Amino acid sequence: MSECEHAPRISAYHDGELPESSRLDLEAHIRQCPVCAAELARLQGLSRLLAGLGRPEMPREALARVHQAVDRQPNVALVRMAEVFTAVAASILVVSSVWLWKISAAGAAPGQIPLWETAAVAPQDPSGVAAQEQLARWIVQDLSRKNGHD
Amino acid sequence: MGTDSTDLGPTDFALIQRARQGDHGAFHGLVDRHAGPLFGLAVSLSGNAADAEDIVQETFTGAFRGLAGFEGRASVKTWLTRILVRQAARHRRYAGRRQATFRGLEAALDADLGVPSADGATDARIDVKAAMRLLSPDHRDVIALREFQGLSYDEIAEVLEIPRGTVESRLFRARRELQGQLKEYLG
Repeated sequence: MSECEHAPRISAYHDGELPESSRLDLEAHIRQCPVCAAELARLQGLSRLLAGLGRPEMPREALARVHQAVDRQPNVALVRMAEVFTAVAASILVVSSVWLWKISAAGAAPGQIPLWETAAVAPQDPSGVAAQEQLARWIVQDLSRKNGHD
Repeated sequence: MGTDSTDLGPTDFALIQRARQGDHGAFHGLVDRHAGPLFGLAVSLSGNAADAEDIVQETFTGAFRGLAGFEGRASVKTWLTRILVRQAARHRRYAGRRQATFRGLEAALDADLGVPSADGATDARIDVKAAMRLLSPDHRDVIALREFQGLSYDEIAEVLEIPRGTVESRLFRARRELQGQLKEYLG
């Protein structure tokens, strides 16, 4: 079949899919172009042939089976609610896990040791004992000197 | 938005909204409204009624599970049609060599041959079905959506998720193929 440059648009024209201005231009062209007029006639004939196949009816039993299949699906609202609860529970679990991990990583801060305990366990200051001994010797020496002069 | 008005009851969009809130009856209403036309499309795409029933069933169960995903940008009809076309493509990929199609075609031929026609209408139907089977899946999809479902180019583009220009060119080439197969009927 011979071709016209407008042939590809005949299909869209046949389907009513051309904008108004293009449609009017093409109609004017088809009136003068036997190639495009023949193409349009073939497209119209093809649509009639395809329409002749008829529309197959869905058997009632098949439709019933579709309804039954839909009934077997879980309730959409319940599924969504379950999804929301699951998401909330998962969030709580994640936050709790992070919090517990942070606590265990930092460890417990040591408490202040009471002063009395510090004092009780602190070793005695050796220099303090020596100083007392020296003081005692001085007192004895002083007393001895005084006894000698009397 | 998907507001398909009908004088016979709530709109498709209203039924979807109610179904989302757990109203199973609303979704059954959508099934009753759309299953018939979708079955016809499924037969065109699959070639036989048995596969078509499976495809329609999977379409509606899938739509039910995916109710939350319906955004209302397309009509409910377009949304369901898109799901069906995907299911039909899945059937093509995973059903293997289509023994069922040949069985379906034979059944269709038997049915047609059971109703003889003096003017060759039966022969025409057989040849048209055979010509449709010879189309590539892409071409068969656009022909079925345009000629059998009456979808606009924009709706077909939305269903197939392709540009409108691709719809136009595929239809042009598919029709040329069919014309070549059926030229004895077209003159």
